[in-house]
Amino acid sequence: MSLLYPLFLAGIAAAAAPILLHMIRRHTRQRVTFSSLMFLRPTMPRFRSRSRLEHVLLLIVRCSVLCLLAFAFARPFLARPAATGAADSSKRIVLLIDTSASMRRSGLWTRALDEAQSVLKETGPADRVCVMSFDQGTRTLIGFDQWQTMAPAQRAAIASQEISKLSPGWSSTDLGHALVTAADALEDDEANDGAQSRAQCRIVLIGDLQQGSKLDALLAYEWPQRTELVVKAIPCRGVTNASLQLLANRDSLGPARSDDSPDIRITNSPDATNDHFQLHWADSAQPGAAVDVYVAAGHSTVVHAPAEPNQQTSARLVLTGDDQDFDNTLYVMPQLRRQVNILYLGRDDPNDTAGMLYYLRQAFGTGKALTSRIVRHPGSEVLDAADIVTAHLIVVTDNVNQQNITALRRYLESGKPLLFAMRSAEAADALSGLAGVDTIDAQEAEVSRYAMLGRLEFDHPLLKPFSDPRFGDFTRIHFWKHRRVDTASCPGARVLARFDNGDPAWFEVPVGRGTLLVWTSGWQPSDSDLALSSKFVPLLYGTLEYGGTLTEHPSQYFVGDAVPITGRIPAGTTDIQVRKPDGVTVRMDGNQQTFTQTDLPGIYSISDSTRDTDPQFFAVNLPAAESRTDPMPVEDLEKRDVPLTPTAAVVSEVAQRAARHNSFTEMESQQKLWRWVLVATLILLLIETWLGGWLGTPQRETERLGTPLTRPGPAPEREPI
Amino acid sequence: MRNRAASNPQSAIRNPPLIDPAALMKIKSMELRAKAVVEGFWKGIHRSPYHGFSVEFTEYRQYAFGDDPRYIDWRVYARSDRFYIKKFEDETNLRCHLLIDHSRSMGYTSGDYSKAQYAGTLAATLAYFLFTQGDAVGLATFDDQIREYMPPRNRASYLRRLILALEAQPKGSATNLGPPLQRLAQMQTKRGMIVLVSDLLTSIDRLERDLGYLCAGGHDVVVFHILDPAEVSFDFDKPALFQDVETGRDLYVDPAAAQKGYQHLLDGHLAKTRSVCQSLGIDYHLFATDRPFDLALLDFLQHRMRSRKRVRRVHGPGAGPGAGGRAV
Repeated sequence: MSLLYPLFLAGIAAAAAPILLHMIRRHTRQRVTFSSLMFLRPTMPRFRSRSRLEHVLLLIVRCSVLCLLAFAFARPFLARPAATGAADSSKRIVLLIDTSASMRRSGLWTRALDEAQSVLKETGPADRVCVMSFDQGTRTLIGFDQWQTMAPAQRAAIASQEISKLSPGWSSTDLGHALVTAADALEDDEANDGAQSRAQCRIVLIGDLQQGSKLDALLAYEWPQRTELVVKAIPCRGVTNASLQLLANRDSLGPARSDDSPDIRITNSPDATNDHFQLHWADSAQPGAAVDVYVAAGHSTVVHAPAEPNQQTSARLVLTGDDQDFDNTLYVMPQLRRQVNILYLGRDDPNDTAGMLYYLRQAFGTGKALTSRIVRHPGSEVLDAADIVTAHLIVVTDNVNQQNITALRRYLESGKPLLFAMRSAEAADALSGLAGVDTIDAQEAEVSRYAMLGRLEFDHPLLKPFSDPRFGDFTRIHFWKHRRVDTASCPGARVLARFDNGDPAWFEVPVGRGTLLVWTSGWQPSDSDLALSSKFVPLLYGTLEYGGTLTEHPSQYFVGDAVPITGRIPAGTTDIQVRKPDGVTVRMDGNQQTFTQTDLPGIYSISDSTRDTDPQFFAVNLPAAESRTDPMPVEDLEKRDVPLTPTAAVVSEVAQRAARHNSFTEMESQQKLWRWVLVATLILLLIETWLGGWLGTPQRETERLGTPLTRPGPAPEREPI
Repeated sequence: MRNRAASNPQSAIRNPPLIDPAALMKIKSMELRAKAVVEGFWKGIHRSPYHGFSVEFTEYRQYAFGDDPRYIDWRVYARSDRFYIKKFEDETNLRCHLLIDHSRSMGYTSGDYSKAQYAGTLAATLAYFLFTQGDAVGLATFDDQIREYMPPRNRASYLRRLILALEAQPKGSATNLGPPLQRLAQMQTKRGMIVLVSDLLTSIDRLERDLGYLCAGGHDVVVFHILDPAEVSFDFDKPALFQDVETGRDLYVDPAAAQKGYQHLLDGHLAKTRSVCQSLGIDYHLFATDRPFDLALLDFLQHRMRSRKRVRRVHGPGAGPGAGGRAV
């Protein structure tokens, strides 16, 4: 018979208590009520001799009860040989090696390789090993099945050889995803391999365990019970690490400034010992033009980058002064100012505040990201073909001759937008020509005082920015005049806004791939005060964006990001070349929407090999989280229910002991002998109760003591008179 | 007018009727018990210690400035041309207060009846005796404060009320004579007799101070010290946990070892109590509850007689009670 918790047998020592109590005869429990104790002094109790035991049977029963209770708590069971034999000593190991950018720090990678090889050397022939590397994603170098196919004597050597081919990349660290992948791999292998179903499962993590590691994937993951994690953290010697981060310029449409140098956030690590750094452009013609930056440990500051003479090309910002330089370079793409060509067909004087052109020019001013060029042309004169081809938006406010209508329709069919503002009902002829219909009925609407916009289709892309109730108030715009147009005569016309009397105010007519936007009222003061409202400029820029002219392409990405290709190069391109910073050219076909091989920081270029066009550039930088190199407490993993084990030796011993204890627990829970011991205890307690009661009866007490305890009482009471 | 026929207790002293108190206590009615004890004794005569203005003339006194002119005897003035004040004897009967200790210790008994029952019967005996003489008897029961107070009356039905109050069981806590005696002394504006029946289980220092409250008021104080025979002899034979009925405190006592010390302390306490009473001019009587009531009443009367003789010896047969003498 074995005991699950033999320490409880120490409770048998409690059986000495009844023996002592039986040997010591307590002084009398007789209680005598007396009038006052003021004349009495306490006397020492007289004890009976300790050499003689009384009520030996009662003593034995009481001692037995205590011994049985201690025995029951010790959880006895009959040990049997385990059905599956002894605890399986084989292990199932996933070796996770961090190859993120932070492993580029000095000396880390070498020590990581040494740790990995030492782990591989400790593996036995019965072990199943899987080798994985991870950064932003997780890759399997050697799977469990591949490990089994190898000769046992060569497994460690082959795995070491594979690991030696690894090198740290530039990606961020998604530790949570890597751990989940490794745990899943262990479970899958355990499910597939029935022979070693009870083998110990272990993940050995080799990495710098930096603070910037993502653990989000562990939040929604229930960690397997039998899988334990061994962390082999590689500490870094240099502690000061400052990083660069480019701040987004939100004011791209704002007025142009003389100095458009970007704002840079510089962050210093919490355990830094240095707080003085220099920021300068790499390969700068002015080597002395560096900015001194002071950042306290654990803090960050935003500085203005030093002025770069040649801002039209890509450039590198370099930070110096810290111990680790893997994240000290920031690739910056200058924000190029785009030119927007607007062709205005009308007779307005540009300086006439009563005309529409004046307000159009005011709306399309020159900003940091945009330069407008407005070409005015009377509609009755023949248009220059070059003006039409280069125009990003054509605004028509005048009657247009037939020749021009034909040119404008070609323009529309090419997929560009045209804004047609009806100055009068006679403009319906030009409108019908542009829309490609015979006639469109239009007449001057009768407005008592003014009309307002009554219904707007906010789900239309042009009006979607106004869908927020904060911006969707159009009631302050008064329309003194407008034209009533029968949109039913325009096939495919969609009304975007109506006046409060139901007349269409803005509607669109698809022409080819383009869109003809019709405003039935002008924005000059004689027609409406639309030009003076806050909605005018957004509407015009929305028209440009709706036509695809103002589509912005971000120029800053992080390593691992997918860069969209669509829109960067002309449509229909079949051979796209992306040139990486290391000179490698990646060819893409027209079906691929994104470029995903952003595995290096630097400037990438996208070009069309079939055409002689300017390439598009974008910069890829290191993720900011990867620069948070201060060590992460391993308790952060335990908080996410990941069981940690300090060393492999201890793991093995503890695991074996735990497995043995588990098997004993299982046997004990099947037998449940403690119940029978408890039954015997209860029976003994009943016997003890009965025996104690019988021995404590007055007759027995009198026989034992011989004389009563109290003074002789008075004569028996008689009935009162 | 009161019956001034003097009783002669000497005959009772010569042939004292002895009734076993255990047998007497079997009588359920306390009134009957008192009547049985008092039977055989004649009514006593008490001269009032107060001077009043009743019909019985005592003396003339020359008028002095400040006397009430209403009491000037104008006839004497007409005869003698002198102002004389006419003085009368106050015929107010004896005002006796029975102070019965109802502390919890009075409930102790080693026999059939407790000290409280014995004290009640003794008080009822005295009350009955005094009522038969036409004296006014009042009652105050107390523990650490006065629990019930009945002013002195001499109506016939008042005795029954007194006896009903005496039959109540003691429910108080500890014995503390100070507050009730002080309160009673404040309530009494006229001097009279105060009979204290208690086990006096309190410290001697406090006892002297507490009894002093009564004596300071000029009252005639009689103390009946009641003890149980077990308290007197402490004849327990087995060790036991002795529990104080008033404090609840337990004390392990082996009687064989503790009896000598108990007797020594008790004798010292009784001697000091007697000494205190003597120094204060208090009649002190120690009674064990197995002592016949007849003897108790006899001792009481004998002592009162001695006291009256002593007063008359001091003031002479012609001395009036107005000189401060006490009489029974």
